[in-house]
Amino acid sequence: MIISLNWLSQYIDLTDISTEEIVEKLTTCGAEVEEVIDKSSEFNNIIVGFVETTEKHPNADRLSICKVFDGSEHYNVVCGAPNVAAGQKVPFAKVGAIIPNGKFEIKKAKIRGEVSLGMICAEDELGLSDDHSGIMVLDDDAIVGESLVKHLKMDDIILDIAITPNRADALSHIGIARDLAAIFDRKIKYPAISTKFNLCAKNDDAEVVIENPEGCPRYSAVIIKDAAVKESPEWLKQRLTSIGLRPINNIVDVTNFVLHEVGQPLHAFDLNNVAMHKIIVRNNNAKDKFVTLDSKEREMLPNDLMICDGEKPVAVAGVMGGENSEVTDVTKDILLESAYFNPSYIRKTAKHLGLSSDASYRFERGTNPNNTVNAALRAAELIVETAGGNIVNDIIDIYPSKITNNEVAVRYSRIEKILGFNIDREKTLQILKGLEFSIIEEKDDSVKVSVPTFRHDIEREIDLIEEIVRIYGFDGIPNIDKISLALSPQTDQTSFEDLIRSKLVSFGGTEVVSNSLLSDGKTINYDESIKVMNPQSSEMSRLRTSLIPGMLLNISRNLKANENGLNFFEIGHVFRLKSDKINSFEDFEEESHLLIALCGNKNITEWYQKEDQYNFYDLSGMVENLFDSVAAVENVLDNYTEDDDIFYYKKIKSAYDKILGEGGKLKKDLLEKFDISEDVYLFEVNLDLLSGLKRDVNKFEPILKYPKVFRDFAFILDKKIKYNTVVNTINESSSKLLKKVNLFDIFESETLGSGKKSLAFQLEYYENDRTLRDEEIDKEFWKTIETVKTKLKANLRG
Amino acid sequence: MKEKIDQVTKNFTDDLSGVNDKDALESLRLKYFSRNGLFANLFEEFKLLPKDEKPVYGKRLNIEKNQAQKKFDDIKAKLDSNSDGEKEFIDLTLPGIKENIGSLHLLTQTLNEIKNIFKGLGFSVYTGPEIESDENNFEMLNFPPDHPARDMQDTYFINESFLLRTHTSPVQVRLMKSNKPPYRAIMPGRVYRNEAVSAKSYCLFHQVEGLVIDTDITFAELKGTLVYFAKQFFGENVKYRFRSSFFPFTEPSAEVDIWWEPKGKEGKWLEILGCGMVDPNVLNNLNIDSEKYIGYAFGMGIERMTMLKYGIDDIRLFFDNDNRFLKQFK
Repeated sequence: MIISLNWLSQYIDLTDISTEEIVEKLTTCGAEVEEVIDKSSEFNNIIVGFVETTEKHPNADRLSICKVFDGSEHYNVVCGAPNVAAGQKVPFAKVGAIIPNGKFEIKKAKIRGEVSLGMICAEDELGLSDDHSGIMVLDDDAIVGESLVKHLKMDDIILDIAITPNRADALSHIGIARDLAAIFDRKIKYPAISTKFNLCAKNDDAEVVIENPEGCPRYSAVIIKDAAVKESPEWLKQRLTSIGLRPINNIVDVTNFVLHEVGQPLHAFDLNNVAMHKIIVRNNNAKDKFVTLDSKEREMLPNDLMICDGEKPVAVAGVMGGENSEVTDVTKDILLESAYFNPSYIRKTAKHLGLSSDASYRFERGTNPNNTVNAALRAAELIVETAGGNIVNDIIDIYPSKITNNEVAVRYSRIEKILGFNIDREKTLQILKGLEFSIIEEKDDSVKVSVPTFRHDIEREIDLIEEIVRIYGFDGIPNIDKISLALSPQTDQTSFEDLIRSKLVSFGGTEVVSNSLLSDGKTINYDESIKVMNPQSSEMSRLRTSLIPGMLLNISRNLKANENGLNFFEIGHVFRLKSDKINSFEDFEEESHLLIALCGNKNITEWYQKEDQYNFYDLSGMVENLFDSVAAVENVLDNYTEDDDIFYYKKIKSAYDKILGEGGKLKKDLLEKFDISEDVYLFEVNLDLLSGLKRDVNKFEPILKYPKVFRDFAFILDKKIKYNTVVNTINESSSKLLKKVNLFDIFESETLGSGKKSLAFQLEYYENDRTLRDEEIDKEFWKTIETVKTKLKANLRG
Repeated sequence: MKEKIDQVTKNFTDDLSGVNDKDALESLRLKYFSRNGLFANLFEEFKLLPKDEKPVYGKRLNIEKNQAQKKFDDIKAKLDSNSDGEKEFIDLTLPGIKENIGSLHLLTQTLNEIKNIFKGLGFSVYTGPEIESDENNFEMLNFPPDHPARDMQDTYFINESFLLRTHTSPVQVRLMKSNKPPYRAIMPGRVYRNEAVSAKSYCLFHQVEGLVIDTDITFAELKGTLVYFAKQFFGENVKYRFRSSFFPFTEPSAEVDIWWEPKGKEGKWLEILGCGMVDPNVLNNLNIDSEKYIGYAFGMGIERMTMLKYGIDDIRLFFDNDNRFLKQFK
């Protein structure tokens, strides 16, 4: 919201307080000043100049050469305006000035051979209006040499303030003045109303009927007759332009002025376009169309609150007037609406129309129901002042059930209990009074106040406590240096994920964090994916069902940047539909997943090593290491398959019939979607399941006291016999003395025969409680060799 | 026996002081340490001693011999190192062999830092789902339906009653639904805001919220705790201010700004977190006696804290995962 300090000074005297302090205090008290614009700095070096003489430019018909006086010096200025004449007082931009419209700097120039030391400005160049018909001519009483800003009374400071949604009362100059009055302990000068009036339900000129008093608890209307619609006076135009509004005509400008003065939105109808001179506030009946005064056709819904005349809708209540009843150049008689609408009605309508006006913004936050007549009269008086005419003293006011002040009590002990320090009573009462809350009951331990309806957000004791500390200032809260805390058990639900992270970092992994919203095309398991109802774009419209697409986007981006050798991992949530529609948490699944990704160079060529590429076994080993180090793996099974939609081949880890994780080498067609031409190895793990297998404390096992015994052997066997089969055969043929089987060589060669390979193993034997004898190991070992030979048709090598 | 040992060691020391080349050293070795050397002779004699004298002299002999051996080795090492040309050339300046080292994402690093500070103050850590019910995300937290406060958080909806959480406050709701007070916990997690993606905002970010509820919690404690946090995180000299604000779920509410003055640029106040005393409506919604229990809550964006601390000016860098970015924070 834009606030002009000049305008503000109409209601509160802050001349002894610096702008910095005003800004600082407003901000810390809840009206955050986001920007401060010093208007005078926009007109540096632009002053009131006096045109002493003009003569024709010798080399250009349309230009004149003027002598301009700035009060101390005389300047030669070339001017192209047709209306420039000796004796005028004009806005004169000296060398060094920045012209507000276009932001260009005035420099010493030669125009068609004549020196020009400045520029005489038109209104549009100064950003004051669109007028470019000629230079701006100032009043005769302008003081030559005075800065233009000062002359135009534009030396203003503009504040852009963010008002929180609870503070509807602060959405106006008086609203801000009220906070400042409480902060600096001063009085507000409210605009005076002098009109004598009576309240009635109808008068000779018009009648108002509220059919939906819930939607419109109060409707007041003032009639002004014989007014002349024309341009607003300077002061009014200036007020509006200072806060960035465009003046339209005196009637509309006055309603805008009052809205920004006191926060009450008003609407002026041309009374003669209000059929039967009757206003009916009612719900819309059916879906239909209505043209608002910005000439746009709007889709109205049933139950939108509408202002209607005797025949038809004339305005969307609280949002925008209709084109059919707006004030025009020929308007004479005006019906001025000043109403209080139910915030949620206005919000619903404004929302579905996608239309937020200054009026709807205030109504949906809640205006003051008890200021409608006052605001309407204030506007009516200003209309008469600027447009002539007269106010009809019978003011229509329909207010079936009066909204009264909240009465709220606060206990002094509670203030201290919540804040943790004491604010003395005198200060407390001063703050409450400063906020215009009237004290209605004072007790030893508490005070009760009546809260004006502009502060409808104050309903409870805690609301008063907030007001007190807000105005008191948070700086005043003592800095404590000690806290005490309950000795409840401390838990950390992120500890398992952190453990996983630390393992993967120790495997050389780099953690990535990706977007969980994806495009349709990049989504895998599309049918199970969950769509967002209102995405910003189709690029981010579906929740990920897997961490794979996000990872491939990362890989693709890195490969394009020539970043090769990617060992990435990510931990994040994935989402899957379990039924057609989400009605409860049972209808979808949200799981925490881990994805490991390897792509490109595992090692680059260095003086001590050759380049090599990541492969499936790097991935598989990393997964084994991870599982071994975080889970109780006794019940984890490994399976392998070459039958899969996205992987050429994959490893599957499962336990208790549930898949814990799977992954392998990705197929080309998926990679192509992400523009990746390198091989990519991925493994995705369901961490929710894996954490269920988390080991308790790793119990210590005594360090082996007796020697281990090793035996090596190598077999030549059919190439297609899998490692797993061989190891299982070895294990099955051995007793518990065999503790470990280590494959240390695989070898294929012509000399072995085609379709053959050699596997070399080292077997490790020991017993925890004794030294093994050579004879017993030899017996075991030879039994194993014989079993492998017969079962796998293998030959012992060498 | 004692005299003999002393004699041999003294002679050894004298002889050793005269040694200045490898040949002399070798003859010294033969004289004292060979199989028939003087120390070996002493051990032979020791074997003949009566049983009761053995422990005394055995120990002494061992000590003396070991000391002699050490002196001998030192001199040998010295002579070896002096002999140029005979030793293998080693280029110690070759680049060391480096393993590929991994790293946590910078956001995780920041979160860890935040978690550590609060865990040190006795906070637990809780998490929750990202798809939430309107009830947990808004209603329980005193956002009435159709209230302008809902505009403060642009929301991605799944349907009318489910959405992508806009803050981690629903984790607070879940905690209060399932456990009884007191509470002292932080809730880190991913949250979503339906905003156009730019350098300043992304469709999602990460938050850490905190909740403390007990019978004797005060605003002063909230302020003290958050000032402590800001000093731990940004440094002892951080300049901060608390300013009044509004959140539906807290009252009084405040935002905390820190003074930010990057080198060569004009300083300004930047918001780092929002906080306040838990609104009694929230406690009542969750069947917690709001007269007896008082609490505070706070929330901050991890991206924002990270951007401030590391001078990062584009939030999208966190989610692009460019290795050239990630590697900077190993």
